[in-house]
Amino acid sequence: MFNLIRNEWEKILKKKSTFVMIGLLILAIIALSGILKYVDNNDESTGDEWQADIQQQIETDRENMEEYGGRQLGTYYQRNLAINEYRLEHEISPSVESNVWTLVDEAKMLTSFIGLFTIVVAAGIVAGEFSTGTIKLLLIRPMSRTKILLSKYLTVILFSLLLLAIVYGLSSIIGVILYGFPPDDAVHLAYQNGEVVERSQGLQLIITYLLYSIDILMLTTMAFMISAVFRNSSLAIGLSMFLLFVGNTVANLLAMQFDWAKYLLFLNTDLTVYFDGMPTIEGMTLTFSIIMLTLYFLIFHALAFFFFKRRDVAA
Amino acid sequence: MTTVLSLDHVSKSIGKKRIIDDLSLSVQEGEVFGLLGPNGAGKTTTIRMMVGLMRLGAGDIVICGDSVKDNFERAIKHVGAIVENPEMYQHLTGYQNLVQYSRMYKGITKQKIDEIVELVKLKKNIDQKVKTYSLGMRQRLGLAQCLLHDPKLLILDEPTNGLDPAGIREIRDHLKYLTREKKLSVIVSSHLLSEMEMMCDRIAIIQQGKLIDVQTIADQQLEEKSTYYFETSDLGKKLLQLREKWMIALKGEGFIIDAEKEEVAKLIKELTEADISIYLVQKLTKTLEERFLEITGS
Ligand SMILES: Nc1ncnc2c1ncn2[C@@H]1O[C@H](COP(=O)(O)OP(=O)(O)OP(=O)(O)O)[C@@H](O)[C@H]1O
Ligand SMILES: [Mg+2]
Repeated sequence: MFNLIRNEWEKILKKKSTFVMIGLLILAIIALSGILKYVDNNDESTGDEWQADIQQQIETDRENMEEYGGRQLGTYYQRNLAINEYRLEHEISPSVESNVWTLVDEAKMLTSFIGLFTIVVAAGIVAGEFSTGTIKLLLIRPMSRTKILLSKYLTVILFSLLLLAIVYGLSSIIGVILYGFPPDDAVHLAYQNGEVVERSQGLQLIITYLLYSIDILMLTTMAFMISAVFRNSSLAIGLSMFLLFVGNTVANLLAMQFDWAKYLLFLNTDLTVYFDGMPTIEGMTLTFSIIMLTLYFLIFHALAFFFFKRRDVAA
Repeated sequence: MTTVLSLDHVSKSIGKKRIIDDLSLSVQEGEVFGLLGPNGAGKTTTIRMMVGLMRLGAGDIVICGDSVKDNFERAIKHVGAIVENPEMYQHLTGYQNLVQYSRMYKGITKQKIDEIVELVKLKKNIDQKVKTYSLGMRQRLGLAQCLLHDPKLLILDEPTNGLDPAGIREIRDHLKYLTREKKLSVIVSSHLLSEMEMMCDRIAIIQQGKLIDVQTIADQQLEEKSTYYFETSDLGKKLLQLREKWMIALKGEGFIIDAEKEEVAKLIKELTEADISIYLVQKLTKTLEERFLEITGS
């Protein structure tokens, strides 16, 4: 099994496209750091009157909530209000100077890049072998098809972890170079179960990164499943990308109208709402979402393995 | 003699079409066994079932005592195969490709890989990427890939496909070496009859998924009587006598006759004594090709 993963890993890393992906990711991190540093230098509004600013914000939020406070926006204002009131009460200024965590936090938006790249790899890792015909020489070995497919899946997961580590690691390093180490009192205010809690920023970021990866994990697993079932990488890439970009929006639109939308994959992938915010549909809980995710995960794998094991190879 | 591979009433349908129909045969140790048939006969399909790429519709295939249905991993351990073209990872070098496959067996050393590379004469190009390889080099790499783990049975689907005469000859020599020296059994498929005749000990003729006949090549050469063609001057009065004694049949500028070697010598002497000129004596061997066409009726 170890050898199989090693084989798959070697096949991926020796591809030119992999180098392009990693190169693009590194470029993106560097560009992001540059832009942030530039914006930061031009921004000198951190004054002493932050209490007044926040007071102002609280009032507008209250008005807005009364006027537009529907199902979703209502919870949004509720969260802002709670956090701002907490700030006033405990004298926590919102604009702590930029530090290394600011950059790492901003870099989390690169996880959608990672999602994109991992989907491409997941879509190609099975279907690609069928289109080149190399699958034949792979399957005539004393290894079960289950093991071969599993090794491919694990390799995809390893690949996404590598990309995540590159983003987290490189942005931390650049952050420390640009801003130095963070001040000790930097805290993150999170809104959890209707209460405001303080968290260390480093910890908050690791949680955020992991929670963001759930999205990637699910879509990657889906792309992998399509790749194994239909043996067609374009289909796998196309469908998964489409869902990556519009899935969330569509699911959220449905959620405004229908209660059953809570069973949709995309309304459950964003677990951050349970740690810092409010669920899209009232009554959804962390447990519910985890159960739904596990179900989807198992269904994807059941399909992938069933078809990969059974079907004749006539490539 | 031990049986290395046996097919036992194997059938396969795709959709409603019966592609393989009740095929039974067996291959012995050290034997080169040919699967011969026109395009679409089902040779590749049969081979795919042997190596587990396709499921059996009915029947069973046993390799070195293990059924591919019940004990695939053990059965396939003894097999090295090329199915249709030997497709390799284009972005890896020949050597890296071999390392990939070697990791899927226990105990293949670096030394072993080098030895095989030497055997198939690919040493010069082994560190180039496969996408730069010519078809012949790919075939060699394909052969290297199936020899890595010292298999007992080689299964090669059209191994000479696209090779020039020198390449074909080389494959033939490899097979000879492997069967004589290493006691391997080999299954080759082809629709090139003349080539099969030179390579194989036995040949199964397949048509539309059915086994038509199994021919032993050695038998053919032991045949006692052969057909000869004589081109002569006018036989004149001698004709009647020759007909009675030798049962000749007139043909072209002369006649044909079924006879043993010694009889031919006698006949030549007799004709010369009767003052008949002999311009040509030719042995007409019925090639496998003719038999094949005869049998398959095309
Ligand atoms: N996936 C498939 N679906 C339907 N029919 C198929 C499939 N694969 C093969 N066949 C049919 O099975 C028959 C046998 O095909 P096969 O490839 O085994 O022939 P072959 O003897 O290897 O021919 P060739 O000499 O051209 O390589 C053909 O009639 C073909 O049309
Ligand atoms: Mg064929």
